[in-house]
Amino acid sequence: MNRRRFLAAAGAASTAGLAGCLDALGFGRQSSAYAPPLIEDRPNAVYYPTHVEGMKSFGMATDGPYTCALTYSYPHRFWLVTGTRTNKVTIRSEDSIHVMPVVWHEETGIVPPAANPSVEFALPDGEESVPSVSPWPMISQPMGVHFGDNVAIPRNGDYTATVTVAFGSSKRTGALADAPDSAAFEFEFTYLAERVDTIPYRTLDNAGEHGAVEPHDMAVPTNQLAPEPDLPGTLLASGTSGDAAVPVVAVDDAARFGSRESDSYLAASPRTPYNRFPLPMASVSARATAGGDVVHDGALTATLDPDLGYHYGAPVSETPDSVTISFDAPPQVARHEGYETAFLDMPPVRTN
Amino acid sequence: MKSAVAIGGASALAACLDRSPGAIPTGADDLSALPERQHAWNDALAVDDAGNALNARHHLLLLLDYTGDGTPSQSDRETVESALRSLERAYERSNEGLLFTLGYSRAYFDRFDAAPAGVDLPRPEALAPFEDPDADTPDAVLHLASDRGDALLGAEEALRGNKSEANDVETTSWDGVFSVADRRTGFVGDGLPAEHDDVSGVPEGAVDEDSPLYMGFKSGFRGAQATEDRVTIESGPFAGGATQHASYIELNLDQWYEQDSRYQRVAKMFCPAHAENDRVEGVGENLGASSAVGACDDPEKAAREQGVVGHSQKMEGVREDGSPLILRRDFDSTDGGRAGLHFVSLQREIGEFVETREAMNGTDAAENSAVGQRNNNGILQYMNVVSRGNYLLPPRSRRALPEAEP
Repeated sequence: MNRRRFLAAAGAASTAGLAGCLDALGFGRQSSAYAPPLIEDRPNAVYYPTHVEGMKSFGMATDGPYTCALTYSYPHRFWLVTGTRTNKVTIRSEDSIHVMPVVWHEETGIVPPAANPSVEFALPDGEESVPSVSPWPMISQPMGVHFGDNVAIPRNGDYTATVTVAFGSSKRTGALADAPDSAAFEFEFTYLAERVDTIPYRTLDNAGEHGAVEPHDMAVPTNQLAPEPDLPGTLLASGTSGDAAVPVVAVDDAARFGSRESDSYLAASPRTPYNRFPLPMASVSARATAGGDVVHDGALTATLDPDLGYHYGAPVSETPDSVTISFDAPPQVARHEGYETAFLDMPPVRTN
Repeated sequence: MKSAVAIGGASALAACLDRSPGAIPTGADDLSALPERQHAWNDALAVDDAGNALNARHHLLLLLDYTGDGTPSQSDRETVESALRSLERAYERSNEGLLFTLGYSRAYFDRFDAAPAGVDLPRPEALAPFEDPDADTPDAVLHLASDRGDALLGAEEALRGNKSEANDVETTSWDGVFSVADRRTGFVGDGLPAEHDDVSGVPEGAVDEDSPLYMGFKSGFRGAQATEDRVTIESGPFAGGATQHASYIELNLDQWYEQDSRYQRVAKMFCPAHAENDRVEGVGENLGASSAVGACDDPEKAAREQGVVGHSQKMEGVREDGSPLILRRDFDSTDGGRAGLHFVSLQREIGEFVETREAMNGTDAAENSAVGQRNNNGILQYMNVVSRGNYLLPPRSRRALPEAEP
């Protein structure tokens, strides 16, 4: 019996530290999967995954205005997105952890989602080769936007890790605009495989049902967006698309978005249902009219703003009274289980 | 398996000679027929069925420091020229013998307190916000290439003064004039990457056995390369020369082979339309003399509507009067025990390399679409630029320790 079958047999056993006991029973980490079989007939919407895992941290480090926590959990299956296609990434037998550098801007608590960091691990002797990884931008129900990839740590021991990250491709405003474009963080830690197995792990009775598990109560920001009623400005539309909630607002004063104070600013804020995580790396466009005149017809720019968080926006000369938001390409962020069937087929959202 | 070229030295050469398939053709005694352009290799290389020049299979880059202080002496100049001429007599100038270029950095020309006359040769710098390369600042770089590893090793031993003959022809050394600051090696050609997959950065057994490069696809299509005329400096004392960029790039292909699908690899290397229509067979032999990216959408449109933009698709727009700006002579490497790429390119001005590389960054696509800074942005996700160097390859008549303003 391998871990997968054991977990399937264990069914609803919601036991923290279950994985630890598996080792005691002789289930070698190297030979078993870390995840029960996927639910059959997954809905094309956000759903409860088969299981939830906790996480641990190798430590935190700062560089200027940025902080990074180098967190990890069990190896995960996840889905890469190219266009509207998803491609499931399975766990390799040699994978020992899912490494997740979480980088945020300390003053605003915002996690820039559109950069791809690199993580280089090293052993002190420098002799043994340790893989370096470029974790993918991804979203999960417990963590929201983060970077992650499965990695094979060769053995127990003292490691150093260097995380480098560049924030080039999203427009940034306010305190974020003045922050540096790149950051580097150094970590020293002891890796113990047996410690991984003490990470909490539980399976879910309601796996496959519409819904999402609560975000982790973490020492790191989860980047949850403001609830719709708390968004600044005037709410122009409030629809759903591909199970994403898509509030659209107009705010006064487009100065901080690179336009005139007298202009207003149109912002679409697509987010996951339930947990309100931003959906980065989509191609979003808008056609907006005010009193019959077209005030915007084209792409919206992915922007990080201290008040609006990650959103897609454009300055407009007048506050629109009618708007249509289109998703020319869905969010290309990789997905953890429970998000991989949603946010792919995304029809337009219109003013009611 | 580590190649003899990667190991280097007399014992590697001896092992190599034991296994060698036959005699290496020697050069001519009369060197006057050799081209003035050091970089004129195309006529001396083999071509494939589609007429693409096939880069030599084995490569060696020697980063060299001039041992003297200040400006070079005439006698050192003669030592260098004499050593190079002896190699030209020892080996036929071809992929079956030996091809080489000798180039010089801005750091070298600082000895004259000047930049090389009439040449765009800036100091190397980072060319993307997500890279932090070391700037290579040797005085000179010697690029040696051959289908025969023993030719590279024989030439190196002769230059270093460890041997006084190469390929049974008497040679002279430049020992005492140049010292070797770094030694970089590699290979390119059908089957070689698959033979050298026991390094980190590439999963064993993943590379197609027919592939000339680790990433599993052909490159160097005739239609995507500048001609030698296009990269040649046209006027001034260095007319007939070219500039050379040489960067070392670590490859992280675990994701490429173990996580991405074939569809994703074709979309990211070429364009999403190639992936959608199954236009690339195997390593891309069916593409002939071009990567056929004329059949791809323009990169901004693909990025907006398909969420991914291909590497070749981004490069297609970097042309002047229909011609690409750079001539690639790159090769893969196992240096440092990991999969890597020595990206060697020739162009008239370094600025043309920079322009090409900026297109590869796909910055507009990343800022205006679902494509990320590296995510779904060509092949940027899989590479880490470790070092960059810029050099001037003078014409052959000025290749030995040239003055900045001769």
